Amino acid sequence: MNIVVCVKYVPDATADRHFEADNTVDRVGVDGLLSELDEYAVEQALQLKEKGDGTDEITVLTVGPEQASDAIRKALQMGADKGVHVVDDAIAGSDSLATSLVLAEAIKKIDHDFVVCGMASTDGAMSVVPAMLAERLGVPQVTFGSQIEMQGKEIRIRRDGDAATEVIGATAPFVLSVTDQSGEARYPSFKGIMAAKKKPVETWSLADLGVEAEKVGLSASWTQVEDTAARPPRSQGEIVTDEDGSGATALAGFLASKKFI
Amino acid sequence: MSAETDTTVPFTEADERRSLRREVAKLASGYGREYFVRQARNGEKTTDLWLDMGKHGYLGVALPEEYGGGGGGIGDLAAVCEELAAQGCPLLMMVVSPAICGTVISRFGTEEQKARWLPSIADGTLTMAFAITEPDAGSNSHDITTTARRDGDGWVLRGRKIYISGVDEAGAVLVVARTEDARTGRLKPALFVVPTDAEGLEYQPIDMEIVSPERQFTLFVDDVRLPADALVGDENAGIAQLFAGLNPERIMAAAFATGIGRFALDKATEYVKGREVFGAPIGAHQGVAHPLAQSKIEIELARLMTQKAAALYDAGDDTGAGEAANMAKYAAGEAACAAADRAVQVHGGNGITTEYGMAGLLVAARATRIAPVSREMILNFVGSHSLGLPKSY
Repeated sequence: MNIVVCVKYVPDATADRHFEADNTVDRVGVDGLLSELDEYAVEQALQLKEKGDGTDEITVLTVGPEQASDAIRKALQMGADKGVHVVDDAIAGSDSLATSLVLAEAIKKIDHDFVVCGMASTDGAMSVVPAMLAERLGVPQVTFGSQIEMQGKEIRIRRDGDAATEVIGATAPFVLSVTDQSGEARYPSFKGIMAAKKKPVETWSLADLGVEAEKVGLSASWTQVEDTAARPPRSQGEIVTDEDGSGATALAGFLASKKFI
Repeated sequence: MSAETDTTVPFTEADERRSLRREVAKLASGYGREYFVRQARNGEKTTDLWLDMGKHGYLGVALPEEYGGGGGGIGDLAAVCEELAAQGCPLLMMVVSPAICGTVISRFGTEEQKARWLPSIADGTLTMAFAITEPDAGSNSHDITTTARRDGDGWVLRGRKIYISGVDEAGAVLVVARTEDARTGRLKPALFVVPTDAEGLEYQPIDMEIVSPERQFTLFVDDVRLPADALVGDENAGIAQLFAGLNPERIMAAAFATGIGRFALDKATEYVKGREVFGAPIGAHQGVAHPLAQSKIEIELARLMTQKAAALYDAGDDTGAGEAANMAKYAAGEAACAAADRAVQVHGGNGITTEYGMAGLLVAARATRIAPVSREMILNFVGSHSLGLPKSY
C-alpha cells in the first residue's frame, strides 16, 4: 500500500507570530517547521508501513513556499520515503478550498492507496482540508481518528466525541485524519537525519498539475480574513491577602462573582 | 584519513547538523533543567535521558555504522553534547564514554574489541569511564605510576586514580597505565579496558560541591588481573592513541561548556526582559545589557572555535585539531564562567535562591575551566607550542 501524507509548514507556535499587512500569516519573520499536528499523521503512516510487508511507500506532500521543504525534510528524517513539494508564487494566500484543490490534483498524480492528514494545522486550525480532499477525490473520509487499525484495505478508527465514541470503518482508497491522541510522534534518529539527505523530493508547479493560477491564491479564495488582532496579554490574577481574617470571605466573593460557586 | 583530506572549515553547519541540534534540543527540553537538578539533588542518575539519547542514535553519532553508530563525526557528537547542556541537562559522561573511549576503541581496537564494546556504548546501554588522572601526577601524564606488568598471557594492573567521573554508572573503565619497554626499561603509556566488577578494583566517591548526577571517584587498582585482550591497540603506540582520545575530549568539553554558557545566558536574558524596576525592564539598561551582549559574543566565538577543532579532527588533521581544540576548550571555559557569573548578577538576590537555580551554574561553569585540562596547562601549551616560548617544566 502506498500512502500520501499531507503536511503543512507553519510558523513555530512557540515563537512570536504575526500577520502581514494583507492579513496573511507572516512567514518570513519567524522560524517555520512541520506542523506538530501533522507529525502525528507522519507517525501513523510510518506505523502502518511498519506493520505492512515492507513494500509500502510513503510520499510526503506539501503545498507552500520555498522554505516549506523543511517540513518535507523533517518527515523524511522521521522515515517517510520521498517528498513532493508544490511551490508556485500564485498559491500564496490560498484558503482551505484553494489549498485542497492543489493538494487533490497533486495526490492524483502520485501512485497511492490512501491519504493521511493531521487533524488541523496549528496556524489556520480550520480542520476542513481532509474533508475537502475526500470530496475532491471522491473517496470516503475517516477523520479525527484517535486509534487506527488496518487490515488489508480495511481501516477502522476510533473517533472520540464529546457525547460518544464512534468506531468508523472504510475501505481504501480514503482520506484519514488523525488526532494528537493517536500516538506520540517519533524523533528522527541520527541515521534518519543522514538518510533523509538522499531521499528524492520533487518540486511541482501549478502548471505541472494543470491547475490554473486564477483558481488559487488570495484573490481566488472564498473566504477573506478582514481583520486580525493580537490576543491581549494575560492580566495578572487577583491576589487576596488575608490580614484580618477576611480572606476567606473575599475569596468566596471572588469565586461567586465568576459563578464558580 | 589521508594528508589530502580537505580540511577547509565552513562557517556554517550543514542542514543535517542543524536538524540534529534541533531534535536533540527538543528531546532534552522534554526533560529539562528541573529533571536534571531533581535527579542530582536526590542522588539519582539521568539514566532515562541517557538511554533516550542512545535509542535515537544521538550518543553513537560519531561511532562507525558497522558497530551500531551513526557514522558521523566528533562535530556531530559535540553538537549533541552542547544542545543537551543548553537545555540545562549537561551529560558529563558524553565527554567520556562515546567521545574518549568510543574514539580510542574504534580507532585502535581489534575487531573483537570493537564488536564487544562499541554497540553498547553507541546505544547507551553501557557507559565506559576513563581513568587517567593520578593523585601524584596531576596534569603531568608523564608521571603516571599505574603500571601494567605481563602475567602469562595477560596483565596485572596496579595503581591509583583520582577524579574519575561516573565509575558507579560505568560497566567498564578505560585505564591509562604504563608498561615497561623491554628494550630500554622506560615506561610508556598503554590503555586497558577494566570491567568495573573486576576483582581488585575498588572505587570511593569524592564529595563534591557541584550539582551533578555524575559523581567523582578515587579508583584503587590493586593487582587487577586482565586477559590479553584488555589492552587496546598497540602497546608501542600508546602515546599517539592517548592523544587521539584527548582531542575529542577537549572538543566535547568545549561544547559542554558553551552549552552551559548558553543555558545561563538564556535564563539571564529571559529574566531581564521580564523584570521591571524603575518602570522599564532591567534589560533596557546598558549596565545590564552590555555584560550579556559580551557573553553572547564570547560564547559564539568559543562555539566557532569548537566547530573548527571538530571539523579539523573529523578531516583527519590530528595536529591541527590539537591546537584548535585546546583554544576552543580555553575560550569555552572562560565564556561559560563569565556567562554564569553575569547571569547570577542580573538576577540580583534571586540569583542565589534555590528557586531560580542559577548559583549552581557557577560551580558547573567553573569546573569547565579546570577539567579536563586546566586553563593554565592550555596557556602553557599555546605559549610553548604556538608561540615557541621556552618551557619551564
